Amino acid sequence: MLPYRITYLILSSCLLIMLSCSPAHQQMQTASADVNLLQKFKPAFTVALYNTTVDVVGNHLSGLLLIKKMPDSSTRIVFSNEMGFSFFDFEFAADGKFKVYSITKQMNKKSVIKTLQHDFELILMNNLDNSKASVQSKDGLTYFVFPQTKGFNYYITNQSGNNLVRMERASDKKTIVEAVMKNYVGGIPDTIGISHKTFEFNIGLKRIER
Amino acid sequence: MRKTIFLILILITGLITKAQYPGYTAVADMAKFKTTFAAAAQKTNSIKADFTQDKNLSMLSEKITSKGNFWFKKDSRVRMEYNQPFKYLMILNKDKAYIKDGQKESKVSTSSNKMFKQINKIMIDCMQGTALDNTDFKTRVFENKTNALVELTPVAKGMKTMFKSINVIVDKKDFSVVSIQMQELSGDNTIMRFTNKELNAAIPDNLFDIK
Repeated sequence: MLPYRITYLILSSCLLIMLSCSPAHQQMQTASADVNLLQKFKPAFTVALYNTTVDVVGNHLSGLLLIKKMPDSSTRIVFSNEMGFSFFDFEFAADGKFKVYSITKQMNKKSVIKTLQHDFELILMNNLDNSKASVQSKDGLTYFVFPQTKGFNYYITNQSGNNLVRMERASDKKTIVEAVMKNYVGGIPDTIGISHKTFEFNIGLKRIER
Repeated sequence: MRKTIFLILILITGLITKAQYPGYTAVADMAKFKTTFAAAAQKTNSIKADFTQDKNLSMLSEKITSKGNFWFKKDSRVRMEYNQPFKYLMILNKDKAYIKDGQKESKVSTSSNKMFKQINKIMIDCMQGTALDNTDFKTRVFENKTNALVELTPVAKGMKTMFKSINVIVDKKDFSVVSIQMQELSGDNTIMRFTNKELNAAIPDNLFDIK
């Protein structure tokens, strides 16, 4: 029989390892589900225009967000105000690379760009590495967990896997961003919402028929 | 020799001008143009028009078109109402701005918000015919038979980071604005074309109220 102190150390280490796997969502159980089922929720953007509102720490912005799949399979996201002045133009390449084509001086800060990059990567669902994914469940929901360089991306579906309830980006300790994509028409969501949990930063997108 | 170089330079300048704005030539008598422009603008107390706005995203080969109604009334009052394909209302009344996007309403003091200050100034200058006096820009004027093209190149620090140039095309008949083209540094541009213009139409003051 192991001495009490060693048993305690092993148990507490196991607990720490378990918690460090996905601590933003504790008490989850390992589940089995086909990760490929997420593909049906991946937005099939060809070209889509969204009426956009941005609320950031007491400031309100509105404008138009254009998402376009380019011939080289990259996705361009351009945000401009109603009068046509562009705030930013980003490229998300098919291989996961990210490029800033233009950004206004006011927004041209590393932290702002990184935040927007990760937010859009979460909803574009471009580079989900199924080989690293794990599946867990909690409260009747299925959590598809994708480890990132920092933290995790969660895609959360109902148990039958026919409804994408929400998406989350989480650090080792807490949920950072929650996002939803709803009312798909022709593979493109009509409504997209991105909500930050650590500071006031919300993006709302409503598709415009042109 | 000097004469030859001078002639070559004139030819090159002429070619560049023609290549830049096909069909337009530089206005020879700027002072006369300014006086005529100012006199015509003096007679215009209000403008009512429809507008079509095209944002051209050059690298994406995409065009975003929106439409709406425009009202201008002296002094310094503008109302722009976008109706298609989205609803957006902007009222500029002297140093105040009112925005309604969807259900959200906001009031901005243009003196404290640089961007609205610039938008306010550009719109008012274009309508009141004072664009040529705006020291935030270096101006050049070109003309053809029917229109004059006022090229505004930003020299002020803030504007320089927003636009490469703003071209205002005015109808030589009444010097009313035909279109405003905003050229961004990225190569994208936005063209706002005004149609069904009514100069000096009766426009109620309360259209510009910011409550």
